[in-house]
Amino acid sequence: MSDHAPVEAPTEEEVRQMTPEEAMIAGAATDDIHIVHRRDRFPIRGTKAEQRSERGVALCFTISALAGVAFIVYFIVGKWHWHLPGTTQSFALYTPILGGTLAIMFLFFGMGLVLWAKWLMPEEEAVQDRHDVPSTEEDKLMTEATLLVGLEDTGLPRRGLIMRTMLLAGGAFATVPLVALVGAMIKKPGDRLFHTLFKPNPDMFPSSNGMVPIVYSDWRPVSPDDLEPGGIATVFPGVRAKTPEGYDGVTDASSPTLLIRLRPGQSVKPRSGQAGYGWPANGPEYLAFSKICTHAGCPASLYEQQTGRLLCPCHQSQFQVLEDAKPVFGPATRSLPKLPLAVLEGEDGRQYFYAVHDYPEAIGPAFWERP
Amino acid sequence: MKDDDIDVEGEFGFEPAVSATGATADRDPAQRATKRRTRFGRRAGATVVLFAALASMGSVYAAFAASSGASDTGTSSEDIAAGRQLFEVSCITCHGANLDGIEGQGPSLIGVGGAAVYFQVSTGRMPLAQQGAYAPRKPAKFDEAQTEQLAAYVESVGGGPVLPQGTLRGDDSMIALGGELFRLNCASCHGTTFKGAPLSAGKVAPSLNESTDQQIVSAMLSGPENMPIFSDNQLTTDEKRAIVVYIQTLKASRDPGGSGIDRIGPVSEAIVAWVGGVGALMVAILWIGARNR
Amino acid sequence: MSSSAQTRKRGEPRTRQGKAGKFLDDRLNLAKPMRTQLNKVFPDHWSFMMGEIALYSFIILLLTGTYLTFFFDPSMGETTYNGSYVPMQGIEMSRAYASTLNITFDVRGGLVVRQIHHWAALLFLAAMLIHMFRVFFTGAFRKPRELNWLIGLGLITLGIIEGFAGYSLPDDLLSGTGLRIADAIMLSIPVVGTWVSFLVFGGPFPGDLIIGRFYIAHVLLIPAILAALIGAHLALVVRQKHTQFPGVGRTEDTVSGERVFPLYAAKAGGFFFIVTAICCALGGLAQINPVWLFGPYTPSQVSSGSQPDWYMMFLDGSTRLFPSWEIRLWGHTLPPLFWPTVVLPGILFTLAGAYPFIEAKMTKDTKKHHLLQRPRDVPVRTALGCMAITFYIVLFLSGGNDIIAKAFDISLNAMTWGGRIALLILPPLAYATAYRVCLGLQRHDREVLEHGVETGVIRLLPNGEFIEVHQPLGPTDDHGHGRLGYAGTPVPKRMSQLGGGSPLKQIRGFFYPVKEKPEIQAQLDELEAGGNGHAAIEGSDAPKQLTD
Repeated sequence: MSDHAPVEAPTEEEVRQMTPEEAMIAGAATDDIHIVHRRDRFPIRGTKAEQRSERGVALCFTISALAGVAFIVYFIVGKWHWHLPGTTQSFALYTPILGGTLAIMFLFFGMGLVLWAKWLMPEEEAVQDRHDVPSTEEDKLMTEATLLVGLEDTGLPRRGLIMRTMLLAGGAFATVPLVALVGAMIKKPGDRLFHTLFKPNPDMFPSSNGMVPIVYSDWRPVSPDDLEPGGIATVFPGVRAKTPEGYDGVTDASSPTLLIRLRPGQSVKPRSGQAGYGWPANGPEYLAFSKICTHAGCPASLYEQQTGRLLCPCHQSQFQVLEDAKPVFGPATRSLPKLPLAVLEGEDGRQYFYAVHDYPEAIGPAFWERP
Repeated sequence: MKDDDIDVEGEFGFEPAVSATGATADRDPAQRATKRRTRFGRRAGATVVLFAALASMGSVYAAFAASSGASDTGTSSEDIAAGRQLFEVSCITCHGANLDGIEGQGPSLIGVGGAAVYFQVSTGRMPLAQQGAYAPRKPAKFDEAQTEQLAAYVESVGGGPVLPQGTLRGDDSMIALGGELFRLNCASCHGTTFKGAPLSAGKVAPSLNESTDQQIVSAMLSGPENMPIFSDNQLTTDEKRAIVVYIQTLKASRDPGGSGIDRIGPVSEAIVAWVGGVGALMVAILWIGARNR
Repeated sequence: MSSSAQTRKRGEPRTRQGKAGKFLDDRLNLAKPMRTQLNKVFPDHWSFMMGEIALYSFIILLLTGTYLTFFFDPSMGETTYNGSYVPMQGIEMSRAYASTLNITFDVRGGLVVRQIHHWAALLFLAAMLIHMFRVFFTGAFRKPRELNWLIGLGLITLGIIEGFAGYSLPDDLLSGTGLRIADAIMLSIPVVGTWVSFLVFGGPFPGDLIIGRFYIAHVLLIPAILAALIGAHLALVVRQKHTQFPGVGRTEDTVSGERVFPLYAAKAGGFFFIVTAICCALGGLAQINPVWLFGPYTPSQVSSGSQPDWYMMFLDGSTRLFPSWEIRLWGHTLPPLFWPTVVLPGILFTLAGAYPFIEAKMTKDTKKHHLLQRPRDVPVRTALGCMAITFYIVLFLSGGNDIIAKAFDISLNAMTWGGRIALLILPPLAYATAYRVCLGLQRHDREVLEHGVETGVIRLLPNGEFIEVHQPLGPTDDHGHGRLGYAGTPVPKRMSQLGGGSPLKQIRGFFYPVKEKPEIQAQLDELEAGGNGHAAIEGSDAPKQLTD
């Protein structure tokens, strides 16, 4: 190290004769740190300027302490419980005052430290050698030889069998935790992405031949009388039984459906094979589409009842409901899946919506296995 | 509709909500004159009525409302006549003499109902300033009474949904329910913090910041512009009241966490973080790094 | 003094510092390494403090985050809220969301800590980004520091993941929407997409354990890796020493500045508290992520204007701008989401990671560099950086293009198309502009070196010609042209940058100059006359000697 910038380290006796500052400078010099400029900011002690600087720093610390006290006091006495508007909601001051006093406390403490350094500590300029010297050729050669001989000693280059079996074991070592973790976490997707809870269920709904009733979020069945022309409703499969993960028809992530009643004069160009999916089957007035955007899975539900456009708020894909929810703008590539509707008479004599069968295709964002 | 039983109570049968109180029963032309005050006075008056009179005279009103019959809003023929006059001055050029609309100018008003008229006129959207993808909110041209007269007239011609009478705002116990319904039905366009959002190609779902109870309910009932209609069968009157009380409570609530930075969310937070936070930090490092010799 | 030295027993320090030092040295032999570290020299340019911001906000995140874990319940189990926030009372929600509401409304002072935590997270990532660009534009990533550049890139990547995991924890409507998009991104990966999604969520989205998994990743796994990487990052800075702009005492072999103890420590420590103060001020004064307004996550609900936090917004923007191109082959689908959310960030981060090596290859530069370059002196790199930043900003703004459309009454469709076009046109434009600006600045530097600084003094020559007098910066040749070459340092361009500057700076006092007592003033004047104050440190009451 010291061969780069030879500095004679002082002897112990020499150091003992030095003032602390000299000793400090000498110590730095042995580490090749040269203090090239060092100036006491107040060479004359007790000047007004020095006192003023000192008071300034002290003031910072005092303000910091006071802010801390203020924080503690307000933390204890401040009104902080949320309550309804009507009376003054003075809790709205609680967080700002806590944050404000904390900020003042830290700010002035930090400023005090910086000002202390800037105003009172001696200013200095030190130059340090980088010592970015490349290793010597001797070092490199000797290290290389060490590695080489070490390897020779193990005999690995000659004993290929050991090498290969050890690599094999190493591979197993590396794979075991991976397999254990992934194996514990992995779940077979199966066909779960292709079905929703609208899948006919004769056990649960025998009276409707297994067709799943369509309900609102409060489990009220949906009737064609409910919606005005130009109205929409978010509807769900009326399945109260919970999935293995604990979700029922209303909370399940794949089932939210947008039921749309067209305005008079609006008609739909159906896609092939799905002409009868609306209700009534010919000249449909009601249409039901999956609410889950085919792009990234947000609920696409910004419906413009006059233009028939349906917008997704996440990436602004736009679907034209009057063309059977075909994507007309933005990044989405697929039409929203359409739910086949039927209407049956309920026990109270009113008519209610049912899903004839599940969506004919997987809902939501596309994935590899999806055709 | 025209020959209803509350004719005797003067020309103010149709009273959508704001001033829909028992006071209607004994209002006379003198009071009507006082009602025509400056805009400020009118607003202040509406607020007073909203917050005080509804509470104090609710019971009186309930009796009155019960006597006025089912869906009938108690519109007098004078109202209709006055509304017709206003219509023929301000609306006829676009909506046509028979309210059946003029191609390329304005839609038919047959069957839109009083709620639609109330919403469009009280939010200042009608009369329209210019054709466009979206009609923005602006100061209302007509005062409350004139709005009601217009509504009465349009309704008398074609019928349609009308504003329910009585208080449109639920009580505090309904706030949570209203929030749930709002997030399910309304937040997709208007946003969970009522900021509104752009729709396709220049259309807009407006912010609800200035909306009154009446405007919120009338919008749900009438589906202005591209807003879907939410009928009473789908969202019951009580559920609508719950939505109204949720919206108005949250709007009136102060932010517990300091400035709400307009409750826009991550975008305004990003601006504050970069301009305020990083800006302050840059000032700090410039100060610390500066040499003071 | 020598007499006292003799009376002192050998090896028995007198000063308290000495005694403490002896205690440690007896056990750890620390005397020399400790002195070396205390004396380590740090350069003090302001732009070198950006990385410190990131370090300090990370510490703040650890502290506030630990506080939050005392109250947060990372469970997706369902519960009915009955806390004090009336608009949510009676609503079914996950325990994660309910406990976030509790921290907000039923833990005294919990909200301010939550907000400090979130703001510090935003600043942590912002600081890493600007630090990265400082390193980029000054060429600090060059050999031998490529490894640290890669570690830094890893820190940013992990920081983004860490931030997203934390943003998702409250299980509110906004973050749940983001989580669903994250699921869609996983699904979009070819071949293994559905398996990845089911592996992460433990079944179809949202499953019942994702919050717990994100929690442990957010509070343990990623912070541990971050802390380790930060340690390595700093260790490499200590080992390789700081880069520096060239100047007096600042060469490839030396670094110039202030020693760690006490000057740099005081300043850096002070700066830590200032960063904390800014986080606290934001946390108290500006409301962030008000989940109580958003509601609990339900797959059927969404709010318009849903955005991720700023560091994810560029991905949201790229997704919004990407056209609807889907590849369907042999009964399989490659969704459009794959390109802007997996491939694009992959390319961006790979390019960033490979840049030091690419640049070295293109410039055939295999030398070590400890001195920084001014951005103007490397126009290609600077222009490339500006191009990248422009690309990023277009994506970033597009991530909030619905908010912009609403605020400025612009059609949403126009915003999307504007973003697409801007993404193709603006980056090359930024490249060309930055390149030209760099060349112009270079030329001006050379001009000033040759002709001197404009003084503003106009002289009338005998022949009637007016010329402006230029102050040469150094020795001139026969033609009056400066002989100073460009040394990679800032060239003074104004007269005020030459010489001592304003005389006002010499006067202490803010409102009025400080008047010293006459006798002290006399001493000061004497000192002034006697030259600089270097010797004066041994003045009237010099510190005591070691051997005293």
